[in-house]
Amino acid sequence: MRRAPLLPALVFTIIVTQIPFLLTIFYSLQSWNLVRPGSQQWVWFDNYVSVFQDSQFRGVALNTVIMTLGSVLIAVVLGLVLALLLNRHFVGRGVVRTLLVTPFLITPVAAALLWKTTLLDPTYGLVNFVLSPFGVGEEAWISDFPLASVMVALIWQWTPFMMLLLLAGLQSMPTDQIEAARMDGAGAWAIFRELTLPHLRRFIELGTVLGAIYLVNTFDAVYMITQGGPGTASANLPFYIYQRAFLGFDIGQSAAMGVVVVVMTIIVATFALRLVFRSFGAAEGSH
Amino acid sequence: MAEVVFDRASRIYTPGATPAVDGLSLTVDDGELVVLVGPSGSGKSTALRMLAGLEPIDAGHLRIDGRDVVDVPSKDRDIAMVFQSYALYPSKTVWDNMAFPLKMRGMDKAEQARRVNEAAEILGLTEYLDRKPKALSGGQRQRVAMGRAIVREPQVFLMDEPLSNLDAKMRVQTRAQIAGLQNRLDVTTVYVTHDQVEAMTMGDRVAVLRDGRLQQYATPSELYDHPVNAFVAGFIGSPAMNLLDLGRAGDGVRLGDVDVPLRREVRDSAGDASTVTIGVRPEDLSLSDGDGVKAVVDVVEELGSESYLYAHLADDEATTLVVRGPGRTRVRYGETIAVRVDPEAVHAFDSASGERLAS
Repeated sequence: MRRAPLLPALVFTIIVTQIPFLLTIFYSLQSWNLVRPGSQQWVWFDNYVSVFQDSQFRGVALNTVIMTLGSVLIAVVLGLVLALLLNRHFVGRGVVRTLLVTPFLITPVAAALLWKTTLLDPTYGLVNFVLSPFGVGEEAWISDFPLASVMVALIWQWTPFMMLLLLAGLQSMPTDQIEAARMDGAGAWAIFRELTLPHLRRFIELGTVLGAIYLVNTFDAVYMITQGGPGTASANLPFYIYQRAFLGFDIGQSAAMGVVVVVMTIIVATFALRLVFRSFGAAEGSH
Repeated sequence: MAEVVFDRASRIYTPGATPAVDGLSLTVDDGELVVLVGPSGSGKSTALRMLAGLEPIDAGHLRIDGRDVVDVPSKDRDIAMVFQSYALYPSKTVWDNMAFPLKMRGMDKAEQARRVNEAAEILGLTEYLDRKPKALSGGQRQRVAMGRAIVREPQVFLMDEPLSNLDAKMRVQTRAQIAGLQNRLDVTTVYVTHDQVEAMTMGDRVAVLRDGRLQQYATPSELYDHPVNAFVAGFIGSPAMNLLDLGRAGDGVRLGDVDVPLRREVRDSAGDASTVTIGVRPEDLSLSDGDGVKAVVDVVEELGSESYLYAHLADDEATTLVVRGPGRTRVRYGETIAVRVDPEAVHAFDSASGERLAS
């Protein structure tokens, strides 16, 4: 009874998450295209069969993996480099840190637009302008490297997050361990490899999991920069499902894809979160 | 094996401010265990960190085995340090912690194994070699930190309050172990502590520091018997020496209603000062049946073999005394006791400067 006041919140959560999910499962068992009224009928698992036979779906799933993991891992590496640079004293450190954090504070849609128009535009883009002394002409980055272009925008936004997380990790490292290692004869690289990286491991794991959970749902960057094109070259699963549901109006097919994605995400997230909780739990035990 | 010489070494954190260590001159002989002791902020840890190469030496010199190490990085000074927090590497096993300094110096694997096994045996860590530090007790961690220092076979050991994170019983036990180990290895050791009992029991010689300045550098018994000033007198010994500012009277000073005579040399060096700071250790005060200064007991500390009576003078509340009494004393709170002073055991200090009179 002590928890009774929480009941409205629970009911609300069930209404907005579980009921739509049940409805999605319900739709995924039907053939229903909105542009053909009266087409709604039960087809049971036919939609699931065609999802797994759809080569575009597999291609898009692969894109999602590349986009999510690639962006997260590159952002972690860049974030680590920046965090190591920021973890030392220099004049203007506060200003530099603030500037480095700003990409994370920008609305993803605005950031995507900025990359599409101001930076990567073949004719007016700043990237081509900066690279022109090196013989790069009017390179159409977005059409030639669509997936990479989207990833660049994502990495640019997520590097500051990784940097902040790893900086917090670096600053929680006891200085006497580093002093002891220095007296033990370890050089800068040995200290980094033998002490800093093991200490940062759990922060890296946490950043990777949080980043992946967020980035697997990327929609705005794909929508703004490439519209998933050319073809489905840069589409990821959220965007592809959106296309099938709200541009193709194929409710049954897209509902089935949604269910498949939810199931896969739950499986991956469960393992990833367990990893993170275990390594943080183990670390707690030492203090 | 080496001699360590601080030669007017100073550490100045902010130019113009009081130096953290101010012109420290001190020689640690080969194989000697010297304790740096002082209250917090006395500069004892800073002095050790200067020797370790973790703090720069802003003025003066520092020599290890005759070599000036002011510009030598700590890894090339051939020293090993035990940190207050132990500073073990949490991701490494006990074995890897102890082998780390050897590995970093590129020593071959067989020699690494020999030295780590030997150190583990000396310290009783053999069965814990596969464990990570977090699976060890405080005392075991402390021994791993010791092990990491001794595998190096360095010229000098540095120890920064290595016992302060242990419980009281473990501390006494480990104190004896460290002293024994140091005797056995015969390595020059500089040991920092704020605990004067550790300093007295462990040091071949003890350096007392205060506000970055060396007060006295002598053997424990010399410090105890002939403190050079009132600070050292009050710092060394537990319970602390009674230090009383007393007015001159006749051939001595007046304590309550009795006269405490002073030796002629003391009177001469005190000149015509109207007061003198008198130091008397609790064991040099004794309870008497009749004569002596009257005092009222505030607290009785019964230790079994002896007792300490905290009292204030019957005619002066502000003057307090600690008197050592017999074990199982019958004296209770609120009683008036008569205290006799052993005039031979009285230390006298200048009231203004605190310096010893007629040393």
